[in-house]
Amino acid sequence: MRLPPSLSLRLAMLYTMLFTISVLLLGGALYWATVHTPLQAVSLQVEREMSALSREYLERGRDALAAALELRAAGGDARMPFHAFIAPDGSVVAANLPSWPREQQSGWSRLEADYYQNGDEVDHEALTLDRRFEDGARLLVGRDIEDIDEVEEKLLAAVSGLLVGTLLLGLLGGVLMSHAIGRRIGLVTRTARRVMRGDLSGRIPLRGTADDFDQLGATLNEMLARIEALVESVRRVSDNVAHELRTPLSRLRASLEELRPAQVVAGGAAIENAIAEASALEKTFDAVLRIARIESGRHGAEFSPVDLSALLADAAELYAPAAEERGQSLQMEVAPGLRVAGDRDLLFQSFCNLLDNAIKYTPVGGWIAVRAGLRAGGVEVAITDDGPGISDADRPHLTERFFRAAATMAEPGAGLGLSLVAAVARLHGATLAFEDARPGLAARWSMRSA
Amino acid sequence: MRILLIEDDARVAAHVCKGLGDAGHAVNHCADGREGLLCAAAQRFDAIVLDRLLPGVDGLKILRTLRAAGDATPVLILSALGDVDERVAGLRAGGDDYLAKPFAMSELLARVEVLARRGTAAAADGRLAVMDLEIDLFGRTVRRGERRIELTAREFRILEYLVRNAGRVVTRAMLLEHVWEYNFDPQTNIIDQHVSRLRQKVDRDAPVPLIQTVRGVGYVIRQAGQ
Repeated sequence: MRLPPSLSLRLAMLYTMLFTISVLLLGGALYWATVHTPLQAVSLQVEREMSALSREYLERGRDALAAALELRAAGGDARMPFHAFIAPDGSVVAANLPSWPREQQSGWSRLEADYYQNGDEVDHEALTLDRRFEDGARLLVGRDIEDIDEVEEKLLAAVSGLLVGTLLLGLLGGVLMSHAIGRRIGLVTRTARRVMRGDLSGRIPLRGTADDFDQLGATLNEMLARIEALVESVRRVSDNVAHELRTPLSRLRASLEELRPAQVVAGGAAIENAIAEASALEKTFDAVLRIARIESGRHGAEFSPVDLSALLADAAELYAPAAEERGQSLQMEVAPGLRVAGDRDLLFQSFCNLLDNAIKYTPVGGWIAVRAGLRAGGVEVAITDDGPGISDADRPHLTERFFRAAATMAEPGAGLGLSLVAAVARLHGATLAFEDARPGLAARWSMRSA
Repeated sequence: MRILLIEDDARVAAHVCKGLGDAGHAVNHCADGREGLLCAAAQRFDAIVLDRLLPGVDGLKILRTLRAAGDATPVLILSALGDVDERVAGLRAGGDDYLAKPFAMSELLARVEVLARRGTAAAADGRLAVMDLEIDLFGRTVRRGERRIELTAREFRILEYLVRNAGRVVTRAMLLEHVWEYNFDPQTNIIDQHVSRLRQKVDRDAPVPLIQTVRGVGYVIRQAGQ
């Protein structure tokens, strides 16, 4: 049996099982004391009587046994004696049992021995021993065990009632417990999700009861406060760095641009080269800051409904001339009307980066395919190319900042394009996977549809 | 044109003043926000270039005050906070355009000139014309002299934007923002490829090329005599 995933429900089931076992043990002990032991005593008595009566028959014959049975039946024992003595020819010599099985039973049996007393039927049950002699005569000897039988019945009824009650209470308790615990854990889970989505001010609500969950919540809240403070200080640093570096970069560019006319007169390209280097530096700097910003969950632009089909068409259209220039075919298989919630500019930039990469690394004359459609309640976009792909060793590092596969070192770029794509994917709760498309690379982006 | 520059960094301000001055514009410079606000209220300008981070005051606050007072002068926000959400905040506060620091002077100049003149309006019949090129905005057709030119929807929009801003330089970033309506940095010459296709169609066998490249900056359609 597979157990349900909820720990509290599993614990409740375990407890129910333990309670059931204790009820069964208790019932067993009671049965031993009130049923098994008295029955044992009766069977000993009946065995002794059987051996005495058998000896009587074997040594002194049928009449002596009949007399002994009469005598026994008249005796004043608390347990009413029962017997039946059948001659080898099948005739009943003596009997006070109302009925017995036609065939001889091996060993012990319990026989109905109801009889009438003053016109009322009195229930009796006899524990009897059945014996057949070598000459064919048959002797049944028994003692009344009606009282033990009644105790047994009541005990069984009581124990089964208890079992049902235990199971019902256990299950009810389990459901209640699992609800109560589930609610507390749900609060923790929801808060954690909220923080993961970027709302660092999220805290777990406490009950003020100082119970285990409150203690856990308080500890986690302290941790969240610490994380928030750290992120805040990183943000402040990155803002300061941004401002403190951008202003001198602006001055540098201003100076270089003012030198430009002088160089036009003097000839040479040093200033132009310096301006180009400054531009590249600015771009790298901007990309790093942007990725950091997106990853800190602080990208404030709220999500809005985005027509992903139109956005992909725009991206493909933007890159169509680039692909054409390299003799590549750019294929589009995008289902119409795919809608997601997101940041339009960032999504566009991400798909453009993926396309840009595919075009850059696919050889002249290759193909790039953009496919998008609904998959299992979400939207999946796959950008596949038939380029050389990427080695298994490099694949896990693709989205690392400044990572550049050895084979692509010759191409321009800082190795930030895919890091940005990965950051945007995380911001949107999308999964981004790079797969071997044999021979090319497939970038697979899946996210919830709106 | 008269342009107001509100910028606290002396080095950047001097550069902007010089760049705008060289292009033939009159620049008033204010180094702090309060002074800038007073200046903007006292005189009429064709455009305001406003730094986002000023000592002691957020540039956006100045912008909101200005807009609340009913001043509709086009404003270009300059900011060292160059991210997309900062841009959105700037435009929401009433800014008309946004430029991240550090910027190329040519980009700033192009944006200020386009902002201040707000583009050429089409005639009532939806026609835009420059030299022998005529665009019919209703019929979505383009003619160069007697020759009819077939353009894709995107090429049509690029041409329309260039013609509406004829005489003013349009940068690649401006094209991406206004024609594709996405705000991002493609990091490659992707826009050039689109313009070069458009140019092949528009300027093929024409004696005078209409779309001119401004090296390192962007494109311009120059009217005859300019």
